[in-house]
Amino acid sequence: MNAREDVNNAWAMLWRRDRLSAIGLVLLASLILLGLFGPYLPLGDATKIAVGPRLTPPSWRFPFGTDELGRSFLPRVILGIRATFFLSASAVLITSCLGTVLGMTAGYLRGAADQVIARGADVLFAFPALLIGLLIAAVFGPGKSSAIVVIAVAALPLFVRVIRSVTLGLAGRGFIVAAEVAGASPMRIMRVHILPNVAGALVVQLTYALSVGMIIESALSFLGLGVQPPDASLGSLLRQGSAYLTFAPWLALSSGLVLSGAIMSVNLVGDAIRDVLEPLKGRSLT
Amino acid sequence: MNALVEARNLTIAYDAPGRSVLALDGAELKVEAKESLAIVGESGSGKSTLGMAIGRLLPLEARRLNGDLLFEGRSVFDASDEELRLLRREKLGFIFQNPMTALDPTMRVGRQVALALGGRPKIHEITVLLERAELSDPERIMRHFPHQLSGGMAQRVAIAMAIAREPRLLIADEPTASLDSSIRDRVMATLTRLRRETSSSLVILSHDLHMVGRHADRIAVMYAGRVVETGTSDRVLRFPAHPYTRALITAAASGASRGVRLEPIPGAPPVVTARAESCAFAPRCLARQSLCSERRPETRRVVDRIVACHFAERTLAQHQVGIEEPSG
Repeated sequence: MNAREDVNNAWAMLWRRDRLSAIGLVLLASLILLGLFGPYLPLGDATKIAVGPRLTPPSWRFPFGTDELGRSFLPRVILGIRATFFLSASAVLITSCLGTVLGMTAGYLRGAADQVIARGADVLFAFPALLIGLLIAAVFGPGKSSAIVVIAVAALPLFVRVIRSVTLGLAGRGFIVAAEVAGASPMRIMRVHILPNVAGALVVQLTYALSVGMIIESALSFLGLGVQPPDASLGSLLRQGSAYLTFAPWLALSSGLVLSGAIMSVNLVGDAIRDVLEPLKGRSLT
Repeated sequence: MNALVEARNLTIAYDAPGRSVLALDGAELKVEAKESLAIVGESGSGKSTLGMAIGRLLPLEARRLNGDLLFEGRSVFDASDEELRLLRREKLGFIFQNPMTALDPTMRVGRQVALALGGRPKIHEITVLLERAELSDPERIMRHFPHQLSGGMAQRVAIAMAIAREPRLLIADEPTASLDSSIRDRVMATLTRLRRETSSSLVILSHDLHMVGRHADRIAVMYAGRVVETGTSDRVLRFPAHPYTRALITAAASGASRGVRLEPIPGAPPVVTARAESCAFAPRCLARQSLCSERRPETRRVVDRIVACHFAERTLAQHQVGIEEPSG
């Protein structure tokens, strides 16, 4: 069986078993492709001013209309997709590595390290993300790097808590004890035995954190604490559009719908991944 | 010659919020080199705690209050982390009740066995080891994930991994309890054969008297955190000297012949919170006397075994005469 057949079979099975997730997967894939390659498509310049009349409704020439500076809105939305995905994905990736290491350490070593890490995660979890955002933006100034830091800090407890609890469940298992008996060091046990076993939970949590990250990024940019003009993210476009909501609703509508679609597609794909991973785990581990 | 393992008055408590429970209340035990010893007892009798204490593999809540456990004459509780690591790696092998949790579900069997062997073993070394555990077609099994194996095959893989480094002592915690009854004896036979081949000792933690009688040289019966009777398997099972051992034997279904009534043991095992100053079995004992609830029976040698019962001679004598003791 070759790779193409595998992909076709997997797709056919997903479509048969869970149509909603299949739609989510297509939506997510096309949004990511659009974010990656959209700026190279002949859709117009995102930053060029007065390519058309100001605030024109959607037409063939300007599919999402134009904004108050006469910029075509579609390339700006694509720019926004790119920024929103890039910021939240890079922040979530960084924080997932850190959170996995912390969670495994807390769950496996227990003791004082566990107390410090788990309580620290609880404190972060209880702290509203937007408040952290205001704090960090006030200290470091608003911008992309501040947004990444805020998302990373806000998503950290999501990883620490889940990875820690999965690790706690693993720690008493025979194969961990057997590895300890075989004289493996804690570092080695975490790397060789625990990490592959938490990978499933990690992937599911990644998708969840990614959607949370996108919400936070949009909220920050909506408040003007994230991406700064002339760059755009879905959140900043939404704010821009909200100012003209009554007579140019296409601005807020188009960016808002794309944002909702992006978050929904990430969640649908996350659900599908969980559906695939969890029953398999249940079967093989009992 | 020194015993391989010696527990001396070992007292271990588990701390729970608000109280602590004694898992071991002055346990005494010796494991000789190259012998197989079965530790039997009900759930909560402390047999797992005693077995795990040999490798100092106790949970964090466990606290040693008294006594010591010596491995080859050295205390495992005084050992440094590095000494403990070497002891576990070079001298001990563990086999667990459920082979499915004893194998890493995310790793192919071959790689797990390679890790157990240590270093960078050749494929040939892995297949030889699996073959010794009586797994046919080891090349195929190496490529499998644990969930693709049957319970018996998985347990054989676990056994192969436990003997990979030719340990001095194998500790098997209910090694066949989760297996199909039809293959239990065959897996035990493999374990016994490998133990002989590697001339290591074997400690079986079990409550299956029938299985234990056939595969262990000696039996240690535990009750409420104490080893109450130790002796050779056939003597202990035929002529128990402790009333609890006798009660266990009459309650076990597997050894009974048709028509013999099984006698359940009345009551439930106690939860010990402090050193017992009387016989812990007294409330459930059919032969108890007033002395039993007044003084703690010390562990002592009686004829061919070691017993912790004030009236062990009397229980033994009954077997010789073959009459039931008149009540009173």
